[in-house]
Amino acid sequence: MLEQILTTGFLVSLLAGAVRMSVPILLPAIGEIFTQRAGILNLGLEGIMLMGALGGFVGAFFTGSLWIGVALAVVVGMLFSVIMAVLSVTIRADQVIAGVALTILGTGLSTFLFRVIFGIQKLPPAIEPFEAISIPVLSNIPILGPVLFQHNILVYLTFILVVLSAIVLKRTTFGLKVRAVGEHPQAADSKGINVYLIRYICVVIGGAFAGLGGAFLSIGYMNTFLDQMSAGRGFIAVAVVIFARWNPYRAVGGAFVFGLASALQLRLQALGVPIPHQFLLALPYVLTILVLISVSKKADFPSAFTLPYNRGER
Amino acid sequence: MKKILQNSIKGIVSPLVAVLLAFLVGALLMKAAGNNPIAAYASLFKGAFGSNHRIAETVVRAIPLIILALGISIAFKAQLWNIGGDGQFTVGAIFAVFVALTFPLSNAMLLPLTLIAAFIGGACWGGIAGFFKAKFNANEVITTLMLNYIALYLLEWLVKGPMMDPKGHGFPQTELINEGLRLPILLEGTRLHMGLFVALVLVMGVYMFWRTTLGFKTEVVGQSREVARYSGIKVNKIIIITMFISAGLAGLAGWTEVFGVHYRLLENVSGGFGNLAIVVALLANLNPWGIVVSGFFFAALVTGGNTMQRMEGVPFALVDVILGLTIIFVISRVVYRRWRDKQC
Repeated sequence: MLEQILTTGFLVSLLAGAVRMSVPILLPAIGEIFTQRAGILNLGLEGIMLMGALGGFVGAFFTGSLWIGVALAVVVGMLFSVIMAVLSVTIRADQVIAGVALTILGTGLSTFLFRVIFGIQKLPPAIEPFEAISIPVLSNIPILGPVLFQHNILVYLTFILVVLSAIVLKRTTFGLKVRAVGEHPQAADSKGINVYLIRYICVVIGGAFAGLGGAFLSIGYMNTFLDQMSAGRGFIAVAVVIFARWNPYRAVGGAFVFGLASALQLRLQALGVPIPHQFLLALPYVLTILVLISVSKKADFPSAFTLPYNRGER
Repeated sequence: MKKILQNSIKGIVSPLVAVLLAFLVGALLMKAAGNNPIAAYASLFKGAFGSNHRIAETVVRAIPLIILALGISIAFKAQLWNIGGDGQFTVGAIFAVFVALTFPLSNAMLLPLTLIAAFIGGACWGGIAGFFKAKFNANEVITTLMLNYIALYLLEWLVKGPMMDPKGHGFPQTELINEGLRLPILLEGTRLHMGLFVALVLVMGVYMFWRTTLGFKTEVVGQSREVARYSGIKVNKIIIITMFISAGLAGLAGWTEVFGVHYRLLENVSGGFGNLAIVVALLANLNPWGIVVSGFFFAALVTGGNTMQRMEGVPFALVDVILGLTIIFVISRVVYRRWRDKQC
């Protein structure tokens, strides 16, 4: 058993799998960094991801174009997250309850719409998902090549988005405004920054990323939509954001750990390791709790985190 | 007296509006999907109340739902967002069945022991999240949810592994608990069981709880951690105790379900009651008597939802849609209030 695990082939496939499985956690986490930096906790990521997964699949299924699927997933994610923006920014509702509501609604609505659109069929409807693209030259590097450079386009896109997001947050006026709104909305307001608008934009950016993360599940990783296929990844992403201390680069590391847990679980199961496979399946969830308890105490949350802003109150 | 009446009317109107709006949106969705919403809601109503048998089924569903929602209401009042009802329910059921199948005691001794085991099982599962919240400030929404998944896999492992019924032809289930331990049926020919009284006793219990010192402290912690700290309340201790009690009640809900309905552990025994209970508690504004009303209401929705799926072909998931919308409309009522205040 151990000889099978300690081979290069196994390790390479494990690491490549980990990179792939980290994407549907990394994408919603990056979006949530924007949202949380602006002071909003969106716990509805799970529901948004499911809506995105459905949108991606429906778009790809009916048009035959995966890219239209991706676009639809992003739009659906943005529209669905507007509900969160209205509840948290305009209505100033409790964000935790709003997030839970969004998750329940997204879970129900995605399943409902899937049933309505496709009916009950013997074989689930399927599409051809994104294929892996081997990047010339780079993919020939031993070990590193297959681990990093033989993935589908959405994986590469994710890493580009990480860099872009880091730049936007750190080096642009918009990023500065976002942080100001999350740290001290009153001061930001007095400088003429529209607190409500920035928060709306950040929640919707979070929705776009979560929608894309959902699309990765349905048309980048699987070839169909399954009820509740996000399986808690939306919540794991929130844990990754805290672990990453609201830094996109650190989120890559956090998401990779979870990708590794998922990939390990699949491969150990395939090898027939004498650990009950339910324990392996529970691994990412146990890991999430461990990560949370190790980082939460020291975490330096944005000062206005989860606090609704009201212009009238000083 | 007049004031109490006025307040209770106010307390009923706004959740009622939220529910009606949710049903209205649900109707629009069905219409768009090509179903007849009136026929669908009619079949839903008939499925929930159409016969004595259907009414009994509705009550059977209301029992664990009310108990779970009571537990959730205690945590929510302390601003602890325990969304792990499903997991705590499951672990409570596991503990109780384990005790019932393991110890060779007389039923009179064993039955109370299983009840205590269920409470402790649930309480420990939620207590983990409470402890992590108090000690490490770990977000309890995420930890309780993660514990739901872990409990689900734990149950699956047990019913397919160490606790599987050796005579069960490989079905993923445990042995049946002995007949003397099963909760008596209240109405011949239905599944309505004694658990109903357990639920009502617990409603009374939670109502009394808010009148104890501990209940008061819990409420203060919920209103403001700062104020609580200044007034000498040990906030961390209250957080852990609150989660413990809240989750223990969820464990008891598992007990009523297993000892009143299934008589054994099965995969997915909690059946998504956790989510439902969150809505039940919120709609009742965390009030124990309100929970009885909204618990019956949502139990009817689930019972009727199954009929609606069968008769009208409307996917059961519509029930989840209505749940999500109900919460959204409940938390949106402040808008209406603000608008009304501006008018004055």
